[in-house]
Amino acid sequence: MEDKKITEQESLDIITQMIARTRHRLCLGDGNIMLLWGYLTVGVALLVTLLLIVTKHQAVNWLWFLIMIIGGTATPHLAKKKTANAGAKTHLDTITTGIWTTVGYLSLVCIAFCLVFLLAYGKDCWTVMFMFPLLIVGMAETIQGIVIKERSLIVGGAVGMAAGIFTMCLLATATPLAISWYIPLFVVSFTAMMIVPGHILNYKARRQQ
Amino acid sequence: MKPLDPLLHSQLRLAVMSVLMNLDEADFVYIKQQTQSTAGNLSVQLDKLAEAGYITIEKGFAGKKPRTTCRITQLGKDAFAAYVDALRPYLGL
Repeated sequence: MEDKKITEQESLDIITQMIARTRHRLCLGDGNIMLLWGYLTVGVALLVTLLLIVTKHQAVNWLWFLIMIIGGTATPHLAKKKTANAGAKTHLDTITTGIWTTVGYLSLVCIAFCLVFLLAYGKDCWTVMFMFPLLIVGMAETIQGIVIKERSLIVGGAVGMAAGIFTMCLLATATPLAISWYIPLFVVSFTAMMIVPGHILNYKARRQQ
Repeated sequence: MKPLDPLLHSQLRLAVMSVLMNLDEADFVYIKQQTQSTAGNLSVQLDKLAEAGYITIEKGFAGKKPRTTCRITQLGKDAFAAYVDALRPYLGL
């Protein structure tokens, strides 16, 4: 294109053409951030379980913090790289970033409450951290799925929310979350919620290109 | 019929504004690809739009590579909307 005068019909054609081109890439993003959190959560869950079985030492539960430390450090880097690679930031990107930033801050608030209960009152409420990611992350993912019209995110998020509500019922009825059956449930839920949709998003993004 | 904004009634500048209307921000390389323009020409037209206050241009870095990011302003959105409105009678819409 050049800096030349155009007819009114050409103006309309240019506007239509440019909107169509930019809309084309709006549909699907990169699934790498979901894969990072998915594999990280599943990996740490399995590591903690293994160490709990082998050492029977409750202190290994502090390793759960690896999820927030590694994920929280790597996510901004991956997000920046994604925007740079895409060359543009859409309205949907902004909505998605807002949703996940809110989830990130809520996670920090949840951790802060658990720490306060532990350090100030000597009460252990860390099991809430099993319910929180499933319910809140599942909800965020479903919203994102609705916004970008991606079914795998809606289904994955719904699986997470269902597992989160189930966990909430277990906590409300004071049912112990035994590692023999709860960790596999947690791992399967996170796989359905993050890993499967992450791979589907990457596959669709590759196919689009 | 209202006269068309001469700043927007140009092939490349209108294409740039149409791209930015649909996005929150876009970098120079992306706009160049979408508009299929040359770097020199695009740079000149971006400066004209920025001088009119229709877009903002931010020069920064993505890692070690320089990155020029463009965003449409509210004035630019209003001008674009007015341009489209003014265009309708010409096309009998």
